Amino acid sequence: MKRKLIIGMTLALMAAPAAAADFPSRPIQVIVPYSAGGSTDLSLRVVADTFKRLYDGKQFVVRNQPGGGGAIGTSATVHARPDGYTLGAGAQGPIAILPHLGGTDYTLDDVEFVGLFGRSIQVMVACKGAPFDDFESFFEYAKTKAPQIGNSGAGGANHVSAQAFADEAHIKIENVPYNGSSDARTACVGGHIDAMVASPAEALAQSKAGNMKPIFVMEPKRIDLFPDTPTAVEKGINFTWSSWKGIIAPKGIPEADLAFLREAVKKIATDDEFVKKMTDMGEFVTYEDAATFKARAEKDSKSAERVLKDIGMYGMNK
Amino acid sequence: METLAYLAPLFHIDVLGAIMLGTLGGLVIGALPGLTATMGVALLIPLTFGMPAVMGLNMLIGIYIGGIYGGCISSILLRTPGTPASAATVLDGYPMAQKGEAGKALGMATIASTIGGLVAAVVLAALAPQLASIALQFGAPEYFALALFGLTIIASLSGDLLKGAISGLLGILISCVGADPISGVLRYTFGVSGFASGFAFTPALIGLFALSEVFTLMERMARDEPNIQPVRGRWPSWQDMRESRGALIRGSLIGTLIGIIPGVGSGTASWISYNEARRSSPTPEKFGTGYAPGIAATESANNAVCAAALIPLLALGIPGDVVTAVLMGGLMIQGLAPGPIMFQTNPDVIVGIFGGTFLATIFMFIFGMALIPLFSRILAVPRHILAVAIMIFCFIGSFAINLNPVDLYTMVGFGVLGWFMQKFGFSQAALCIAMILGPMLEANLRRGLMQTHDDLFAFASGPLTILFLTLTVLSLGWPVLSRFLARRREAKTMTLETK
Repeated sequence: MKRKLIIGMTLALMAAPAAAADFPSRPIQVIVPYSAGGSTDLSLRVVADTFKRLYDGKQFVVRNQPGGGGAIGTSATVHARPDGYTLGAGAQGPIAILPHLGGTDYTLDDVEFVGLFGRSIQVMVACKGAPFDDFESFFEYAKTKAPQIGNSGAGGANHVSAQAFADEAHIKIENVPYNGSSDARTACVGGHIDAMVASPAEALAQSKAGNMKPIFVMEPKRIDLFPDTPTAVEKGINFTWSSWKGIIAPKGIPEADLAFLREAVKKIATDDEFVKKMTDMGEFVTYEDAATFKARAEKDSKSAERVLKDIGMYGMNK
Repeated sequence: METLAYLAPLFHIDVLGAIMLGTLGGLVIGALPGLTATMGVALLIPLTFGMPAVMGLNMLIGIYIGGIYGGCISSILLRTPGTPASAATVLDGYPMAQKGEAGKALGMATIASTIGGLVAAVVLAALAPQLASIALQFGAPEYFALALFGLTIIASLSGDLLKGAISGLLGILISCVGADPISGVLRYTFGVSGFASGFAFTPALIGLFALSEVFTLMERMARDEPNIQPVRGRWPSWQDMRESRGALIRGSLIGTLIGIIPGVGSGTASWISYNEARRSSPTPEKFGTGYAPGIAATESANNAVCAAALIPLLALGIPGDVVTAVLMGGLMIQGLAPGPIMFQTNPDVIVGIFGGTFLATIFMFIFGMALIPLFSRILAVPRHILAVAIMIFCFIGSFAINLNPVDLYTMVGFGVLGWFMQKFGFSQAALCIAMILGPMLEANLRRGLMQTHDDLFAFASGPLTILFLTLTVLSLGWPVLSRFLARRREAKTMTLETK
């Protein structure tokens, strides 16, 4: 314990010169575009906690600005004064999907990417009492009937991902929108829908209880939590999808300050204690620098655009 | 024996202190309009990172229970519901405070909250796994039928049936603003992105009940009416308790049952409970005039929901409302996955949470009762200062929730609407109920019909759906039926007398 402390203090001292410039001289505000208590909010609170620990008392202050599926808070972030003191939680829905629906006053191009610290792996699960329980039987069923797949909201991330999969696999599905993912999960455990897209953590707990069965993982490779569950890719369907969490900012932040913030996200995302806490919460921590993060968001945005055009939702709120 | 061993850590001084602090903090948060139990729990989650599971979780549960209770304080004293859960408490609580009986009203609310909380906690501890399956019976048609049944309250609460119906329909229309729940198309937002999720609920309620009251207060000041003379005392009389007995028992049970159904929430529970209390009372005309059983009904129900909402969370891993969803986050941070297996893997945590729920409810009672004289003193503030203070609260409270400036327009708009409604005898309660139930009604009707491919018979075929639809018909038909029965009884006694 003592030794850890000493190492920590030495590290902190070593880090100090790098951040010697007076930025940040006051707390940095991070806008979370969702209500307090959701997974994005909780993750950002852990980020803020870690920042305070790593940067010796300097502070991230989380500010929740929910509404419009994340569009209101994201708009507030990209239109904030670019002095580095207002950042935002960057989430897939409001950045890569919502602008295609219309009704947002920003696009992907208005976003300055700082860094990505976590991805949410997605698993398609069969719900309680569904007429299928693995990939083969799911596919067999989908050849003749359209399975009802619940999602957390029309035009939301897992509506788009389920539809993108169906397009790629040439099957028909019926999308059943719910008001948020916990409502969809309730319906799934109660057997009111056939399948849904879940996070590995919730899928694991519920499949142990016999309420859900994993069908496939939306990753390029199998994951440790579900070693026996196939990916869509290995079944010959060119489809991967994951949602993500990162830090974004308005464009125009002074170069040096932006560099400091990017470095901070990297340090936080690679901090052992941070990784452990996030993993306990069921998040998958991974660090991507600004350029990789931006490329990922652009790729998702392209897929979302295609899917939304297909199902006639493109630009519907313009 | 094992259970006792699991309970022992609760009585450690740190844990007791954490629950006590949580409950007191929750009470203050709930009492301040604009700060909700959800925010309190979410803000304090990082504090629990380093705590042992039972201690951290029980602190959060303390905040939750204290927060829902605290909402009644501003409802009763200032007509400012801090949470949708306590909107129904305004109906009898505020008139009581205006009669000078603020202490007694708060006392009744505290006792009712405690009884509701304890009843639900007993049910939670005794029957959680068995009852949790109720939560799973509710598909789209069931939710639709429940919402429809809830709407019948409007008929009995609004006095003037036509004006009540107008208020109710207006409420449903208002709840259509924002993204369509099924297709995601924006409706009636007129291009204002702040309305993309519809009117924010709490600011709307604050406007409807509190700002409108500020206008009324100003009118009264202009007429130079005397200030309220507060009566001392916080304990309801034995007669109050006797009259409230039925309301308390029914409220606790209604709250428990509704709490188990995910996503329905304490707002609905307290309105249904209020309506049932009024319906079965020998003196229904006293409700709404500052009648203690009215408070007993709403407060017992909304606090019962708190403990009951933990049932589906712990037993099935599905959160029943926003606060329990946040609590679930708190559990996951501790590395615990709520659900049926948790009863086997972590019985200590489960028993610890059961025990903590009891303790938090008891602390809530003690703090609530002790602080009543302090809270009641608010009413001794001269009316012109109070009016300004409430107005400031309205603005700060409405903004604090989402930090969205558009919510201030919502609040002021609803304030003006509420004032007009009050002046011309339209029921604000009816509007409020319709706004709570409208979204549930619409989304589930459309979702259900979509799932059954527009087959109305398949939609209305489940036993629970049929039950609630029957209750709806009975509830609407009951006044007519009871009048008919009464007339027959009268006729009978008349004929007997003539014989």
